[in-house]
Amino acid sequence: MAVSTDFAPPFKLIAPYFIIGVIDLLLAVMLLFQIDITAITQTDATTIAWVHLFLLGFVMMVIFGAMAQLVPVVLEVGHFAVDLYYIIYPLLFVGSFMMSYGFLFAPGVLPYGGVVVLISLLVFIFETFLTINKVKKFNTVMTSVVIANIFLFLGLLFGITMALGFAGEITVNLQWLLRAHVYLVLFGYVGITIMGISMVLLPMFWLSHSFSWKPVKTALWLLSVGVLFVMFSAIIEKELLAYAGYILSLLSLVFYIYQIYIIYKTRVRIENDIYKRALVFSYVSFVIALLLGAVGFLAGNERIFIAAGFLTLLGFVSFLIVGHLYKIVPFLVWYQRFSDLVGKQKVPMLADMVPARSAIYGYAFNTTGVILGTVGILLGSNAVFQAGVSFLFIGSIFVVKDIFYMINFKG
Amino acid sequence: MVTKEDIFKAISTVKDPEVGFNLVEMGLIYDAEYNPETKHVQVTMTLSTKACPLHQMILQWVEEAVLRELPEVESVDITLVWEPAWNISMADENVKKALGGGA
Repeated sequence: MAVSTDFAPPFKLIAPYFIIGVIDLLLAVMLLFQIDITAITQTDATTIAWVHLFLLGFVMMVIFGAMAQLVPVVLEVGHFAVDLYYIIYPLLFVGSFMMSYGFLFAPGVLPYGGVVVLISLLVFIFETFLTINKVKKFNTVMTSVVIANIFLFLGLLFGITMALGFAGEITVNLQWLLRAHVYLVLFGYVGITIMGISMVLLPMFWLSHSFSWKPVKTALWLLSVGVLFVMFSAIIEKELLAYAGYILSLLSLVFYIYQIYIIYKTRVRIENDIYKRALVFSYVSFVIALLLGAVGFLAGNERIFIAAGFLTLLGFVSFLIVGHLYKIVPFLVWYQRFSDLVGKQKVPMLADMVPARSAIYGYAFNTTGVILGTVGILLGSNAVFQAGVSFLFIGSIFVVKDIFYMINFKG
Repeated sequence: MVTKEDIFKAISTVKDPEVGFNLVEMGLIYDAEYNPETKHVQVTMTLSTKACPLHQMILQWVEEAVLRELPEVESVDITLVWEPAWNISMADENVKKALGGGA
């Protein structure tokens, strides 16, 4: 792999993605205070508003920012038009906010927010595909980027179809479309992106070597087929096909977790820093969430299912992203501010740029918040859930503060 | 006369900002050779990961370090190789101990 820093976009382009992303995380956590856990369902307006703010405003925002940096590293070519990233984040921020606001207070705003998000995602997909078009030879990670973006595009198409259905323009089965939309975006895009990027970032940060890549390659293919099964099940409305898709997805995740375990066991770096703590909590949360999800699914218990979803999003996805921010942000700032000074004057190490104590405080509050929040949902107790959200709120403030600290680090 | 040890010493002024160790004690420098006739240094090295985003900068730092530390050298070429792939057993004992793995 001939990786080039020549293709690296300027930090001023990437920084807003991470800043807005963590601010949206804080806003999403604040929105959790509005949720009545005794009456929660997967489809009530507050839940849907929260999911859109969290996924679009935080998860997608940070992934897109990371992709601006990582796509050239992974694909080994420069962006087709990296300046397009200057319009993706404002549109995504405004659109996701409008959508969440629309779900909560003003349904009339919803289609406008949806269109703004749609434009933002289409620009991202357009730029990514035209960048991919420059690639001559594909490896597994590159293939994962291609598959993930195809699923994102298909997920958008289902979202648009749903919007037309909501508006009464066409007659469609919204339940089936919702399932395909959620599955394509959450598993097809976010899931496959996480798998693909894990193959680059985890061995790099942990200095893991001499291990097999077969589990994650198997996981990628199983999940891709699983997502396709669920998508087609929505088109032909066949429940059996959807179940086959769920089983393949579950198998895929087992392979993926096994791969992470292998990378973890073969790592050279075993310092107990914020990155390691966040990732361990993230993957442990994911394993527990999968078990909870399976129990909820088999028992037909929506509360357990929602608890599994909460743990997946705020335990697994959130900690995975935040953990990586404590690695990626110092690197980008260091590269921008100090790399030219190497050999000329003393420069800080990346670890010097991380506010270690503050990061641990944030970690402690966030882990407590996730555990209490999950238990609160399982018990149907608003008091326990809100206590958890209070911890998450303080933990998220630490995360926001730390991101600003690292971005403003001057040595 | 510039020796291999001189070149390694010059390159040891370059630190990997992520792990905090210099490239020589990390075991990333495989070989170095000085040609007194052409005053040219040839370095053979690797990186700890193919996905290293500092790939080109590190090569540049190595070149600059050799030229800076060894005034008699006039030019430097660096060959980046992936075989043999780097692993922690190639690092110095102090690195292994500090990182905590590879024992």
